[in-house]
Amino acid sequence: MALSEVFQTTFFLTLLSLRTYQSEVLAEHLPLTPVSLNVSSNSAHQSLHLQWTVQNLLYHQELKMVFQIQISRIETSNVIWVGNYSTTVKWNQVLHWSWESELPLECATHFVRIKSAVDDARFHEPNFWSNWSSWEEVNVQDSLGQDILFVFPKDKLVEEGANVTICYVSRNIQNNVSCYWEGKQIYGEQLDPHVSVFHLSSVPFIRKTGADVYCEVSQGSVSKGIKGIVLFVSKVLEEPKDFSCETQDFKTLHCTWDPGVDTALGWSKQPSQSYTLFESFSGEKKLCTHKNWCNWQITQDSQETYNLTLIAENYLRKRSVNILFNLTHRVYPMNPFSVNFENVNATNAKMTWKVHSMKKDFTYLCQIELYGEGKMMQYNVSIKVNGEYFLSELEPATEYMAQVRCADASHFRKWSQWSGQNFTTLEAAPSEAPDVWRNVNSEPGSHIVTLFWKPLSKWHAKGKILFYNVVVENLDKLSRPELHSVPAPAKITKLTLDQRSYRIWVTASNSVGTSPASVIVISADPENQEVEEERIADTEGGFSLSWKPQPGDVVGYVVDWCDHPQYTLCDLQWKNVGPNATSTVISTDAFRPGVRYNFRIYGLSTKRIACLLEKKTGYSQELAPSDNPHVLVDKLTSHSFTLSWKYYSTESQPGFIQGYHVYLKSKARQCHPRFEKAILSDGSECCKYKIDNPEEKALIVDNLKPKSFYEFFVTPFTSAGEGPNATFTKVTTPDEHSSMLIYILLPMFFCFLLIMIVCYLKSQWIKETCYPDIPDPYKSSILSLIKFKEKPHLTIMNVSDCIPDAIEVVSKPEGTKIQFRKSLTETELTKPNYLYLLPTEKNYSGPGPFICFENLTYNQAASDSGSCGHVPVPLKLPPSQLGLMISPENVQKALEKNYMNSLGEISAGETSLNYVSQLALPMSGDKDSLPTNPVEPPHCSEYKRQMAVPLCLASPSPTENTSLSSITLLNPGEHYH
Amino acid sequence: MNQIRSQLAQLNGSANALFILYYTAQGEPFPNNLDKLCGPNVTDFPPFHANGTEKARLVELYRIVVYLGTALGNITRDQKILNPSALSLHSKLNATADILRGLLSNVLCRLCSKYHVAHVDVTYSPDTSGKDVFQKKKLGCQLLGKYKQVIGMLAQAF
Repeated sequence: MALSEVFQTTFFLTLLSLRTYQSEVLAEHLPLTPVSLNVSSNSAHQSLHLQWTVQNLLYHQELKMVFQIQISRIETSNVIWVGNYSTTVKWNQVLHWSWESELPLECATHFVRIKSAVDDARFHEPNFWSNWSSWEEVNVQDSLGQDILFVFPKDKLVEEGANVTICYVSRNIQNNVSCYWEGKQIYGEQLDPHVSVFHLSSVPFIRKTGADVYCEVSQGSVSKGIKGIVLFVSKVLEEPKDFSCETQDFKTLHCTWDPGVDTALGWSKQPSQSYTLFESFSGEKKLCTHKNWCNWQITQDSQETYNLTLIAENYLRKRSVNILFNLTHRVYPMNPFSVNFENVNATNAKMTWKVHSMKKDFTYLCQIELYGEGKMMQYNVSIKVNGEYFLSELEPATEYMAQVRCADASHFRKWSQWSGQNFTTLEAAPSEAPDVWRNVNSEPGSHIVTLFWKPLSKWHAKGKILFYNVVVENLDKLSRPELHSVPAPAKITKLTLDQRSYRIWVTASNSVGTSPASVIVISADPENQEVEEERIADTEGGFSLSWKPQPGDVVGYVVDWCDHPQYTLCDLQWKNVGPNATSTVISTDAFRPGVRYNFRIYGLSTKRIACLLEKKTGYSQELAPSDNPHVLVDKLTSHSFTLSWKYYSTESQPGFIQGYHVYLKSKARQCHPRFEKAILSDGSECCKYKIDNPEEKALIVDNLKPKSFYEFFVTPFTSAGEGPNATFTKVTTPDEHSSMLIYILLPMFFCFLLIMIVCYLKSQWIKETCYPDIPDPYKSSILSLIKFKEKPHLTIMNVSDCIPDAIEVVSKPEGTKIQFRKSLTETELTKPNYLYLLPTEKNYSGPGPFICFENLTYNQAASDSGSCGHVPVPLKLPPSQLGLMISPENVQKALEKNYMNSLGEISAGETSLNYVSQLALPMSGDKDSLPTNPVEPPHCSEYKRQMAVPLCLASPSPTENTSLSSITLLNPGEHYH
Repeated sequence: MNQIRSQLAQLNGSANALFILYYTAQGEPFPNNLDKLCGPNVTDFPPFHANGTEKARLVELYRIVVYLGTALGNITRDQKILNPSALSLHSKLNATADILRGLLSNVLCRLCSKYHVAHVDVTYSPDTSGKDVFQKKKLGCQLLGKYKQVIGMLAQAF
């Protein structure tokens, strides 16, 4: 048995030695030549793919070999690339190798050959190369087809900044081919008569959908077509930035990074880059589904150190970043939760919260921030699971916001997010007395006291002030104090007190308690108003006030003023000043330019009685006067006039009025005495007089020329300037003699007027006396002539004996009273022989009943007014005439003439008075037929001349033409229409 | 027939807009080389004879609609990959394909009900999936140019 084992061992050793020897011999002496070289092309990748085997290798023999490969283009002698490829070769192994061409393979024939050498350390002797294999030709052009033009490479994917070679194959060398890259022509080199090559250097990223390269083939000027390719240029893949991992629970690592640009391209040419996490200690790998974060599961085998690599990858490039860390140093705690406040009172509270449990003995460092009253307080505390912190020194009635965050206390890396909650402390009693001031108006028998107070600050109020208590205590008379409760937020109250001394207590109350009292005493004596007012100027930043100290003990001074003195509610303000101060500066944003502010300075005695010490007034900024005075011109003479503006108010101006400027313009070149020359804003010259006293509101302008034209303008001025520009008022001095003329002409005029009035009042008498219409024969001078001729038998007819013509007075039937105050003639007719009242027919629808009376004489006035026509008036007449004819007033007027009888009282509108002339009535007879178509009235010239006739002749003769007379003598009771 | 006419008119009304939208979305050199890149040079496009009988015209219409349907399918697929953000183009291509499907159904119905033609030999548009991107863009443009030309003629013929 032992022998056989020895034999076997010897045999194997011998065999091994033999094999080793054989290998060495074979390697050294038998050429290991690459055989069966097969070259294929991949147009998409522009690569040649080589496959071969190595001859003469023994079974299971492995040798390190090096292969040298030569690649020629167009012809074998044009070697464009030589390179070595080392690998371990096994028996019968098919070897593969690829080579990528920068020139599209379709554009040129390529040739490949290979030779080999042993490159194994086991062989000490120098290696020798095998023979070259035969050239293998790769010609893709033959498989292109019969198209006239081909452009390559098709749909090539390159990275931004790469160099790209483009070529075209033209079947017809007669054709002219022009190529363009994004619209711009590119020029290349001709590889052979059919092939041209273009080199694009450092191609930029243009768009995700690729950039077109196209070639146009043409023959002469005729285009034969366009062929093109799309070049896909990808952005360069960036290295992920800010790669970090952390855990919140020791179960998962959350890794994040900034991915940079997305390198995805259209046409699915390249998707977005992928991200992979690789942990080197465990060898685990995870493909991430998100482009900027990934979760890594922590194994339970308590691995503490991690070496994580993030690999970004696209079709063209791979980038990676690496981090090595201890897991316990990468803790990012989760947010605290259940934040609460317990035992909250006015000044303190207990804050509690919880944190997520991490692992045993894990300690958190928590940070608390407390926000309130515009301040922030920060506290740190270490906890395990449940946290609590006692917040003290809080302000009452204040809303606070407290928040907490935690971190790993052992290896601080990062705070968690904040978790917070608001809470409000409880109220406390107000800690300060309200600041109170008063204004006293003395009225007969009483003092009207207005109390003002400032709201307590939040700091002092310590809660919401609900009301203010005002307690009034009479100091002169023992009585029960009065309590006035004023609800907040009122800041003012008014008290009517009698003229005794009172002490007033003011306190503020909230829901918890009452503040200390503020005390003020109202003296029975009226306030001293006899204090002179002093003008002050605003210095920069406010009014600087100073006063003489009050004799005796004072507890302080108070300065009060109104922020808005121009309004009724002037917003009284006050400032408390200490007892030792004798000056202060009042400064507020409420002060406005051009507003006069009045300041009163009071001293406060130890008895809390305020005594007015001084008054100050001033402007924060004086402005020019806002308006000019309304100037009256008075006492205008030929040599002077007076200007006055006594109603101009200087108090309401936006500055202290210092005086007035009076501008005077005249034709004269020289200014009057006291005036000086001035240039106006429009460049014109005038004379100016300055009045320095603001209370002097009149000026006598004298030394003027008579009958001259002057213009003047008065404007006040303050320290800021004059009043607004306005137009000059014009004045013309009268003529020197005009006054004398007035003295003469005016009495003459009044005399003449007096004479005229007298004449008018006595016109009747004058007329009758001087030129009567019907002269009185007894008064006529002819009588003396007759007497002179001695004809005593001659008699003169008495007018009263005449029978006058008839007059109709028409009146309405409604009981209209018609009265005759006078007879129809001057001679009174006691018996109306020729006048009849005519009753009215009830069914008559005409103008109304009328009265007929005889016309004693022809009235010129009636004739002039057209009353010579018949009534009813013809409708064709113009309205004016119509009015004259039908209007009772007109008729009455006419009748009021001397030779017409008055009708007495005939009410207008109710009674119409128709004058019936001596002309014949055209419609006489038919009483029912009213003249609907009236006849034109005959001309007055046809009127029968009136004359005085005896009574017997008054009745018209039957033979007489009735058309000549309008007299209608009717028996009583007869109707006339 | 009214429906067929209406659908043809509808297609004719939108064909030019579709053509413009397409070549604009392809970018240069297409918009400025329409005659060279988008000329209606579709060699295997089914013929149409406007002076034939109604039956013959309907049969030819059927073939054309089938051809166009497949061609538009290719174009829509290609453009969705190449121009994923050209949503208006995708929408218009889909709308046109929908109308073509309706038209195809109506033409077949008419052929079947009136002329008892239940089967028509058709040719399909060649598949473009193997073509390079430039070629796909160019073929699509040529097809839409041809479609614009043919659909006008068809709308007039019916």
